[in-house]
Amino acid sequence: MPPTDSLPTFTKSIAITVRQPSKLRNLELVLLLVAIGVSGTAIALVQLGVNGAVDVGVLLQAGALGMLALGMHVALRVVARDADPFILPIATTLNGIGVAMIYRIDLARGLVGWEGLAIRQMVWAGVAMIIALGVIIAIRNHRVLARYRYVAMFVGIALLLLPMLPGIGLTLNGARLWIQVAGFTFQPGEIAKIALAVFFAGYLVTARDSLSLVGRRVLGLQLPRARDLGPILIIWVAAMGVLIFQRDLGTSLLYFGLFVVMIYVSTGRLSWVLIGLGLFLGGAAIASRTLTYVEGRFAAWLDSFNPEVYDAQGGSYQLVQGLFGMAHGGLVGRGLGRGDPTITPLAESDYIIASIGEELGLVGLFAILGLYLLFVARGFRIGFNGTDDFGRLLAVGLSFVIVLQVFVVVGGVTRVIPLTGLTTPFLAAGGSSLVANWIIAALLLRLSDEVRHQPRLVVDE
Amino acid sequence: MSELTLLILRIGFLILLWAFVFAIVYALRSDLFGQKVRRLPAPNGASAASASPAPSTAPASSESATARTEAIAPAPAAPAPTAQEVADEPVARRLVITSGAKEGMELELGDDQLTIGRSADSGLVIRDDYTSTHHARLMLWSDQWMIQDLDSTNGTFLNGKRVSIPTPVPLNTPVSIGTTTFELRR
Repeated sequence: MPPTDSLPTFTKSIAITVRQPSKLRNLELVLLLVAIGVSGTAIALVQLGVNGAVDVGVLLQAGALGMLALGMHVALRVVARDADPFILPIATTLNGIGVAMIYRIDLARGLVGWEGLAIRQMVWAGVAMIIALGVIIAIRNHRVLARYRYVAMFVGIALLLLPMLPGIGLTLNGARLWIQVAGFTFQPGEIAKIALAVFFAGYLVTARDSLSLVGRRVLGLQLPRARDLGPILIIWVAAMGVLIFQRDLGTSLLYFGLFVVMIYVSTGRLSWVLIGLGLFLGGAAIASRTLTYVEGRFAAWLDSFNPEVYDAQGGSYQLVQGLFGMAHGGLVGRGLGRGDPTITPLAESDYIIASIGEELGLVGLFAILGLYLLFVARGFRIGFNGTDDFGRLLAVGLSFVIVLQVFVVVGGVTRVIPLTGLTTPFLAAGGSSLVANWIIAALLLRLSDEVRHQPRLVVDE
Repeated sequence: MSELTLLILRIGFLILLWAFVFAIVYALRSDLFGQKVRRLPAPNGASAASASPAPSTAPASSESATARTEAIAPAPAAPAPTAQEVADEPVARRLVITSGAKEGMELELGDDQLTIGRSADSGLVIRDDYTSTHHARLMLWSDQWMIQDLDSTNGTFLNGKRVSIPTPVPLNTPVSIGTTTFELRR
C-alpha cells in the first residue's frame, strides 16, 4: 500500500526485472552445444577411421540423442533454473564418447543396425535421459526422499536380492547380477546403489551423534562404542554376501565403500575409515584364499605376465590385452577407428577405458578422467553448499558412487587394484548403468537447484 | 582420405576434447581459485563518524531498542539520507540482525539481490505475523544497497520512515520488517 498513486507503476516496472536472465542456463547451453559437437565429431571420426567415409544415418541417430539432451536443457530452464550448469554437458560428452567407442567396436565386429550394441546404447541413453528428466520433475524437493529412507533401504535390499531369485536371475561371466524379464536383461544392483545412498544419508543424519560423539580415545583415535558398530557390521555382512553369493567383487566394494565414506563425512571420525578399511581388507583377504574366482583375480593382478596365469581359464589374458592396447595407443593414441581394441574381450563394457586409451591415447584418457573429476567436484561442491544435512550427505554419497566406480574400473584395467566388474559411468555399454548414472546426475541437478533457492537465513518467531 | 588429414583430425579431436575440459575449468575458475577480491575504497571521515563500531556478535541493545520504537512510531524519524550523502560510503558486506528473534545473527551479502519475506524461496525468511510473503528486497545498484518494498501489507521502515520507492540504505541504519530489525555493515 504505497502512499501515492504514482508509485505502484514504478514498483511494478521494477518487479518485472526481478526475473533475471538465467546466466547459468545460457552457460549450460553453450557447453552442451560443445558437448554435442564433441560427440558428433567422435562418431564421424570413427566412421572416417574405419570406412574412410561418413555415414549420415548413424550421425542422425546420435543427433536425435543430442536433441534429447537439448530438450533436457530446455526443461531445466523451466523446472530447475538454478541447477548446476556443468553436470548435463559433462554427462552428455561422456555418454557420446561412449556411444562413439561402442559404435567403433560394432564396426570392427561387422555388426550393423539393431544387431549392434551402439544403437541399443543410444536407445538406453534416450530412456535414461527421459527417466532423469522425470526424476527432476517429480522430485521438486529432495527432503521428500529423507522421509522415505527406510523404504529406500528395503527397495535397495530387494533390488540386491532380486538376481538371487530362481527364474529371473541370470548369471553372466560368472557374476549373478542380472535379471531377465521378457527378453530384457537388467542389473538391479545399479539402481540399488542410489536407493542405498538415499538410505545411508537419511540414516546417518539421525544416527551420527551417537556415532561421532561417544567412545573411548585410544592412541589419538576416538573409537566408537561396540554397540554402535552394528550398522557398519550389517553393511559389511551384506557386502560380503554380494561377494560370496553374487560373485562380484566390484559391487561389494562399491556398497561398502559408499557406506564407509558417508559415515566418515557425517561424523568426521577417521576411526570409521580405519575400521571400514580393516573390515574390508580382512574380508577380501579371506575371500582371496577361499573363493576361487577372487583367488584368480588376485593371481591375474599380481602375476599378470606369467604365461601360466595368462593362459589360464579366467586368467590375465584380458587384462594383459588391455594393457597392450593402451601401450599400442601411446601418448596420442592410434586415432579413432585406427586401433585394434576388439582383441580385448569385453572391449565395449568393462574394458572401454582400455579401448579409449588405445584410440585416444594417454592425452584423451586424461581428458576423460578430467571430465569425471569435474563432474565429481561439482557433486562435492553441491554437497558442500547444501544447507540441510540430508542434502549434503546425499550429494556427497551420489558423487562418491561415481568416484568409486571410476576408481575401481580404471584401477582394475590399469592393474592398480585387482580387476573387478564395475561399469565405467556413462561410458560403458549397459542400459542399467546408464539409467542409474543419469538418475544420479538428475538428483545432483535437483540438489544444486535447491542450494541456490534455499534461504540464507530464517528468522522464526 | 589421406593419412595426413586423418592425423590432423585425430589431433584436432584431442584438442577439442581438452578445449571442452578447459572451458569448464575456466567457467569454474571462481570456484576453484576463489573469488577475486575487490579493493574497497578507504573509508572517509564522515562515514566513520556516523558508523557505530559495535561488533556484530554483541549488537548495542539501546540501538535496537530505538530501532523498534521508531518502527512502531515512524513520525519522529530522521529524514532518509539522499543518494549523494551515502554515495561515497563503502559498500556494505554484511547484514546484521539487531533486534528480533535472531538478534545478533549476520549474513554475508554477495553481489546478488537478497529477497526478504515469509515464503521459503526468499533469501532471508522472516516468519512473523507482520511479514508479507514477498515483503521486500535488497539489491546492489552501482555499489549501493537499495531497499525496495514489494507492496507489503505492513511496510518496510528505513530509519523509522516507511519505504515507498527503492531507497539507498546507508551503513548502520536500522531497517525494520515486522518485528525484525537489521542493519547493513561493512
